[in-house]
Amino acid sequence: MFKFKLTVIVSLVLILIAGCFYATSLAVEPIKIGLVSPKSGNYADHGGMERVGMYLAVEDFGGEVLGRPIELIEADSETNPDIASRRAKALIETENVMFLMGGVSSSVGIAVGAVCEAAGALFIASNENSDTITGSDAMKHMFRVPPNMAILVRGAAQYVADNLGKKWYFITHDYSWGQSGTRWARNMLDVVGAKEIGEVLIPMNTRDFSSYLLQVANSGAEVACVTVGGFDGIALYKQMSEFGIFDKMKVWWTLADYPDSYALQPEQRGRYGMMEIYWTATPELIEFSKRINEKNPNAPVHVTETNSYSGWLGMTALLKGIEAAGTTDVDAVIKAMEGMIICDNMQPNPTYIRPWDHQFIDSMFFGVDNQESGDDITEVLFSMPCKDFARTFSENPVDLTK
Amino acid sequence: MDMNVSLVLALFFNGIVLGLIYAVVAVGFSLVLGVAQVINFSHGLLFAFGAYFFWSISNTAGFWIALFLSPILVAIMGLLIELLLVRRVYGQDPLFGLLITFGFALAMEEVIRMIWGKVARSVSTPAFAQGQLFIGDIIYSKYRIILAIVSLFILLLVWWVITRTSFGAIIKAGMFDSEMISALGHNLPLLRTGIFVIGAFLAGLAGVIAAPLWSIKSGMGTDILMPAFIIALIGGLGSIKGTIVAGLLVGTVTSLAVLFIPRFTDILPYLMLIVVLFYKPKGLFGEVTVLGEVRGE
Repeated sequence: MFKFKLTVIVSLVLILIAGCFYATSLAVEPIKIGLVSPKSGNYADHGGMERVGMYLAVEDFGGEVLGRPIELIEADSETNPDIASRRAKALIETENVMFLMGGVSSSVGIAVGAVCEAAGALFIASNENSDTITGSDAMKHMFRVPPNMAILVRGAAQYVADNLGKKWYFITHDYSWGQSGTRWARNMLDVVGAKEIGEVLIPMNTRDFSSYLLQVANSGAEVACVTVGGFDGIALYKQMSEFGIFDKMKVWWTLADYPDSYALQPEQRGRYGMMEIYWTATPELIEFSKRINEKNPNAPVHVTETNSYSGWLGMTALLKGIEAAGTTDVDAVIKAMEGMIICDNMQPNPTYIRPWDHQFIDSMFFGVDNQESGDDITEVLFSMPCKDFARTFSENPVDLTK
Repeated sequence: MDMNVSLVLALFFNGIVLGLIYAVVAVGFSLVLGVAQVINFSHGLLFAFGAYFFWSISNTAGFWIALFLSPILVAIMGLLIELLLVRRVYGQDPLFGLLITFGFALAMEEVIRMIWGKVARSVSTPAFAQGQLFIGDIIYSKYRIILAIVSLFILLLVWWVITRTSFGAIIKAGMFDSEMISALGHNLPLLRTGIFVIGAFLAGLAGVIAAPLWSIKSGMGTDILMPAFIIALIGGLGSIKGTIVAGLLVGTVTSLAVLFIPRFTDILPYLMLIVVLFYKPKGLFGEVTVLGEVRGE
């Protein structure tokens, strides 16, 4: 009898201890966030910078939210939509990740967004600019951080027509994002009194642009309107200098990324372009640049630029959303993020997350690259709030409930 | 489409320039495949290392030292690759050589990223080659014209060595019957090592001359490998004349195609390969087929 009672007591104690461990493990279970970001392919350097920003945002939150540690799980999108969507699916199904961010390439963003939509996970498109992401491809489970091409092009077009020239030749990266930039520039032709002279379509992973540039140089255009990015953009920018394009016409990059200019030698630069952020715009951005260097002395660039900033802002918005929702339930987090205003965003204007298309709205900067050494490589000509150029609901009647 | 004659001529000329550059990349690949009978998919990697060495050395020691040293460093890399990897697959199924060199190249691409980072690098053209020249109404890069002349010189030098020297005679004989070379008292392993090192040197040299043209990025070796492979096959294994002709053909067709069918320029070299091999399995000037060569048939 005594042995029986002892057995029961010991069993109960063991069950109690096991239960305590189980409860403890639940309490410290981390919140997993998948970073489907390029480590290879055309946008590898952009991916490296956006991840730096994402990690710094987690650091700003103290590494935890809702009392739970934040765990970032990286997956290389390889700048390939098929590979990225497979890796996103694996994160969701095998690692139980319900929050994902990254992409850079708009095609990748759309593919990963679709996977998340189907799985009920949440995706933050941290550096995708194609207008379709918050337009025809908009999804309830996808948010987009940087300004879309409609905003960037509409913001610059009048200045370009008034100051650079009215005969435009389009150089288009032949995929979703590139086509989006050219489409919006075409939409603005009549509005600003400009004229299309011609267009060349550049396939992804083009290494030599000489044949295209011969056409551009021979066109009689006053402005080359360029929507080409990543390593292809760097090569194109460099070869434009080689072929003396900057002496023949002005070059307007619809989205000018700092790392692309930084990769060139000073004497090779000369383009105009709209930027999502410039590192000297506020003291907070200058300070953020120091943090980037302290955190990652081997970072590809040493200042705050589009990719690191958008990575930081996207992660910050997500963590604030989880905190505001008080839960990791995806629908509740989406609701918390819709209409959110982020004032401590280091920018001249606060960030507003529009509820009807999930587009982040803040500021943008138009500048021209100089030929200085060092990090201050662009002269900012003007900045403007994105809200003045963002599409309205009547222009872009997105239905996120479908 | 607004086509004028001077633009077409300019694109044709540009195609010749591009073709000569591609031929310099391809000739080393073709020699290694023809003589050592190895499909060396690390050839693109060596091209990339040439560009990266050039970037690093030119930033510290200047253009001319970088130009001299970079291909030599790549040749040393080629020697190590041959001694440690490729030598083990001589005489075996050609897939072994392809797989081992391809796997090595993928791994080394990651090493490039670790050493030089993920960001693209840029090299200025030397001061004497900067600027543009006018060819009729068309503005053209001075550096590319110089590059075309240098490329032609390199190709002619290689052709002269292969066709006019006793060393070249041994190389050509080795393409047909490597065992006979041994039987005649020549050191076949040394010959194969020598050819591999020469191929690596040429790849590194091509990387050096291409560095000021194209952005230097970790994947640039993979980008150039397929054009080199296609040109080597179209021209015919081990045929310098074939490599030059094939390079010019691919360069001019893809350059002109930008004017008419820009979305399909990438697939044109592959279509050309299919057509050529359909009618001439040994390539335009080759004397053995690819698989026949590496299987010793």
